[in-house]
Amino acid sequence: MTSDLAVEAVGLQRTFVTHTGVLRRVRKDVEAVKGVSFHLERGELFGLLGPNGAGKTTTIKMLITLLLPTGGSARVLGHDVVDDVREVRRRIGYVFGGDRGLYERLSARDNLRYFSELYGVDPRRQKARIAELLELVGLTGREHERVEGFSRGMRQRLHIARGLLHDPDVLFLDEPSIGIDPVGARELRATIGSLTDVGKTVLLTTHYMFEADELCDRIAVIRSGEIVAEGTPTQLKGLVTAGRVLEVETYGVAPEAVAAATAVPGVRSVLAEDRGQQQVLIVQVEPGAEVTQAVLASLGAARVGRVSAREPTLEDAYVQLVTG
Amino acid sequence: MRALLHQQWTCYKLQLKVLSTSAFEGFLAVLFPLMFASAALLIYRVQDDPESMQYAGLGAAIMGMWTAQGVVAASMLSRERWAGTLELVVASPAGLGRVLVPATLAMSTIGLYCVVATIAWERWVFDLRLEISSWPLFVLSVLLTALTLALVGYFIAVTTTRYRYSGTLGAALEYPGWILCGFLIPVASLPAVLQPLSWAIPTTWGMAAIRSSADGGSPWGDLAACAATGAVYAVLAAWLGSRLVESARRHATLALT
Amino acid sequence: MTSLRIFVIGGLMSYRALFGWLKPGILIPTLVFTPICQILLFAYIGRSAGVGDDEFYVIGNALNYAAIPCLFAMSFTIEGERQGGTLGIVLTTPARRLPLFLGRALPVVVNGWAVAMIGVVGGALLLDVHIPGGAWPSIVLAVVVTSASCTGLGLAMGAVTLRVRQGSTIANVVFCVLLVFSGVNVAQSDLPGWMAAVGDWLPLTHGIQAARLLADGSGLGAVDGLLLRETGIGLLYTVAGLALLRFFEDESRRSASLDRV
Ligand SMILES: Nc1ncnc2c1ncn2[C@@H]1O[C@H](COP(=O)(O)OP(=O)(O)OP(=O)(O)O)[C@@H](O)[C@H]1O
Ligand SMILES: [Mg+2]
Repeated sequence: MTSDLAVEAVGLQRTFVTHTGVLRRVRKDVEAVKGVSFHLERGELFGLLGPNGAGKTTTIKMLITLLLPTGGSARVLGHDVVDDVREVRRRIGYVFGGDRGLYERLSARDNLRYFSELYGVDPRRQKARIAELLELVGLTGREHERVEGFSRGMRQRLHIARGLLHDPDVLFLDEPSIGIDPVGARELRATIGSLTDVGKTVLLTTHYMFEADELCDRIAVIRSGEIVAEGTPTQLKGLVTAGRVLEVETYGVAPEAVAAATAVPGVRSVLAEDRGQQQVLIVQVEPGAEVTQAVLASLGAARVGRVSAREPTLEDAYVQLVTG
Repeated sequence: MRALLHQQWTCYKLQLKVLSTSAFEGFLAVLFPLMFASAALLIYRVQDDPESMQYAGLGAAIMGMWTAQGVVAASMLSRERWAGTLELVVASPAGLGRVLVPATLAMSTIGLYCVVATIAWERWVFDLRLEISSWPLFVLSVLLTALTLALVGYFIAVTTTRYRYSGTLGAALEYPGWILCGFLIPVASLPAVLQPLSWAIPTTWGMAAIRSSADGGSPWGDLAACAATGAVYAVLAAWLGSRLVESARRHATLALT
Repeated sequence: MTSLRIFVIGGLMSYRALFGWLKPGILIPTLVFTPICQILLFAYIGRSAGVGDDEFYVIGNALNYAAIPCLFAMSFTIEGERQGGTLGIVLTTPARRLPLFLGRALPVVVNGWAVAMIGVVGGALLLDVHIPGGAWPSIVLAVVVTSASCTGLGLAMGAVTLRVRQGSTIANVVFCVLLVFSGVNVAQSDLPGWMAAVGDWLPLTHGIQAARLLADGSGLGAVDGLLLRETGIGLLYTVAGLALLRFFEDESRRSASLDRV
């Protein structure tokens, strides 16, 4: 029972039964999640990345007790998500992206008040807590307006405030940043980042790679219901077979020099591109290899201009993982 | 000319399809008056007097027409507005009238369906056989009532567009129509203040004509009054309709939801 | 404590959040003007048919119209949750479901009660019906009981709307069924036998009978059986509704059935 893990999923599976056709209904099983296992340490910010329909939302819905797993098991703070429903619900917050999920006719403040009641927030603390959260998400001053007049980003912020109301230990954020403007998104990232400072555990899904890169301690990439890679952002980037890319500007490089550069150990390929008077050598480097000096030496007499190296981004890694 | 007829026919078919597949304007517009007619017939049945059953049966049969045409019409334009199509309709080269006429005709079709359905229902559930002494006159009276009611519906549709909750307003018109038009309550027995209102609605005259043709009297006087009052609504509606489009363009109320 | 707050405050707020008629432009036509018209309609029909007296129709139709807010508001407060996408969030809260859903019934009962009272008072004034002054307190009570039992039916319908869309269509149909079957305009003894038998299992039937007796000068003691019966039937629907809600929630965790809007 006493577990140090905030979230623990073991072989979690979920199959949906759908029917197609009107007259002759054909039963079709959709395996949305096919046995995923992962865990979140307390205080960790964990990212779940994957293409549309990969099973991220389904996984989260099982963890927040909205869906029963069809296989495997999961615990949140040591409580089983199937049996200890109330214990789990008391300790988690859930925020999803999009503009639904709010009471349009109520003001922002009343939306929060309503959910503080449902979460059993201490009535004496309620007022201060709501003011605090409105401040946090930058809605102070607009709290008396009805939500029906809110923009998408404002709704999203209100969602986040709602998810934090009862000071949950574990937060599930399902694409919290869609529809937020760049400045707001930056603030939101700061907010999410600061959650772990106060000891919260966060499970985040997003389609923005830089966001995941900046925020997450660890990331799992899920594809068609299976986890295909897991690790810190740096580890994931290291998985990229493409490795680093070296770009060398040269003037009048001989074909033999290109061949020599290709022969340097650690270089996978060299491509010469003509750009006006100069040629640019695009050197694909194997991961981990340090080849800059050797490549420059191999070019011999050719005049060399600017040399630049580009690190693979998380996006490179992601694209390779989900397409490869 | 042929193109116009073709366009009207297509619009009519479309509108009829929309109405008859919608729970609110199709199913409920038939069921609601039918249930109220049943409640009224249950009351009249207590005395078990054939003459008053004939009276109630005739009125109950026409009641549904009021709902299907008058009440539904009130929400017609606002329905278009909710769907975001009102602006398109007004902006279309056809003009508002060409859209409203087939729509009101489609509602009349549902209204006539209500009449037939209620007569069948009365036979089947209440074992009530209406005595119709002259079928041609009866049918003529029903058709003229439907036509003039369509004009009233057109008028209501035009006047209520500017009102946000015109659907609610339409529903609020349902009972007053049932009270005033002499379906189940003789106009003469209404309080004196309400009687002029009754006379201003063509349906009241239509209902009287229907009764005369069923009971063997001459419906012509009532039919004339029905046609005349109906014409007044047509003229008023046409005039208001053009004003409406103007004012909507000026005040930008078309997209208002 | 938390549950009590959910019941009272939460109930009131969800009523405000989900019942869309609380604007004067809708409220006055639907909940003031229309019930009075229904009363007049049937009272005049009764006069032309020579059946019953005005008081009979005033009470029957005023109470019948209480069913409009009871059925619509109650089922909206559940159906709207699904339409707005808030159901998922509400269901992830640890709030106990009993006070959560029952709390929504409280403002609805008050609303239904108010509509019925407006009908009774307005109808009595317009049609010059005399109801003895001493009868009013017990009539108020009978109306409370009746709106509560109608709200029970509304709760059951609300649960059904989690599965079947078209909540307001269902509410309209149920309203019509009540109009015809529960002795609103025809004394139960004058209804065909099978209709009266159906009416026995509907809310409203016994409440209307009790209110009519009270308006005729009976004491509360004479109608306690009827009121008890009315309460029991309301309770029956409420329990059925809560059980259905429970069932749907469990079922949705199994088959994701509440996801599809
Ligand atoms: N209620 C449902 N019934 C049937 N199939 C479902 C249901 N919910 C999800 N699915 C299917 O499960 C799969 C995973 O869906 P899920 O919503 O978990 O994806 P996701 O990773 O969150 O995608 P996105 O990035 O687009 O949000 C999809 O194929 C989807 O069609
Ligand atoms: Mg998703």
